[in-house]
Amino acid sequence: MSEEAKKNFVGALTARPTSDDQKQAPALNVPPKKVIIKSADMIPDMQKEAVDIAVAAFERYNVEKDVAEQIKKEFDKRHGPTWHCIVGRNFAQYSQLAPAQYYKVGCDVDIQGSYVTHETNHFVYFYLDQKAVLLFKSG
Amino acid sequence: MEEAEKELERRSKFLNSLIQKKKKGIEQHEHESFKVHVRACDMPLPLQNRALQCARLHLESMPPGNKLDNKRLALALKKEFDSSYGPAWHCIVGTSFGSYVTHSVGGFLYFSIDKVYILLFKTAVEPLDH
Repeated sequence: MSEEAKKNFVGALTARPTSDDQKQAPALNVPPKKVIIKSADMIPDMQKEAVDIAVAAFERYNVEKDVAEQIKKEFDKRHGPTWHCIVGRNFAQYSQLAPAQYYKVGCDVDIQGSYVTHETNHFVYFYLDQKAVLLFKSG
Repeated sequence: MEEAEKELERRSKFLNSLIQKKKKGIEQHEHESFKVHVRACDMPLPLQNRALQCARLHLESMPPGNKLDNKRLALALKKEFDSSYGPAWHCIVGTSFGSYVTHSVGGFLYFSIDKVYILLFKTAVEPLDH
């Protein structure tokens, strides 16, 4: 009788910490979006503006074309025409199929083929988590 | 003597047959490898053909099995169009991207060749302020 009571008590104690840990886990697993400026010919304030607009656009839209549209239109409005925006990402399946050597370290986005002419001081190329954003002005 | 001639003729036909088969095989392979699909377009036909031909030539010049160099292809296309049809052209090559751009009238082409997508468009160039 006394032994059985002890066992139940111990079991109850072990259960509690587990549930607490589980509750805390979700909060810890939500880090802020990682931003990496890979290449820029743009004043810092404008760079930050581009990143902020991109973050907002990604939260709102799922399709790359819509994200690109949002960013381009916002910059056309704020800084005058004509801006161009390309947004790209790498699918997990493609990533597995592609040879590792193809990618630079820390770069999993297949948008390295971009080659554009841009006006001086109006070019930025950055990564937002797994997606790349290319924004430049020309024309 | 006659037998020798017949043997030579038979061998000659056999060799020709082999050559023909090989040629057909190569053509078929090329066709399968470089299938082209124009997906969106605002460009005169001659310019379209120029872009498609340039891209195809670039792919064919790659050693078989090698990964396509997207940046090099984009560079080649942009430079060719800049020099042939005036600045400024922009070219994006990749397997997974979305875009939103403003282009000049008659200066936009979005096509795929093999497994890669190519965006080529032109923008007006304003003179620099002096």
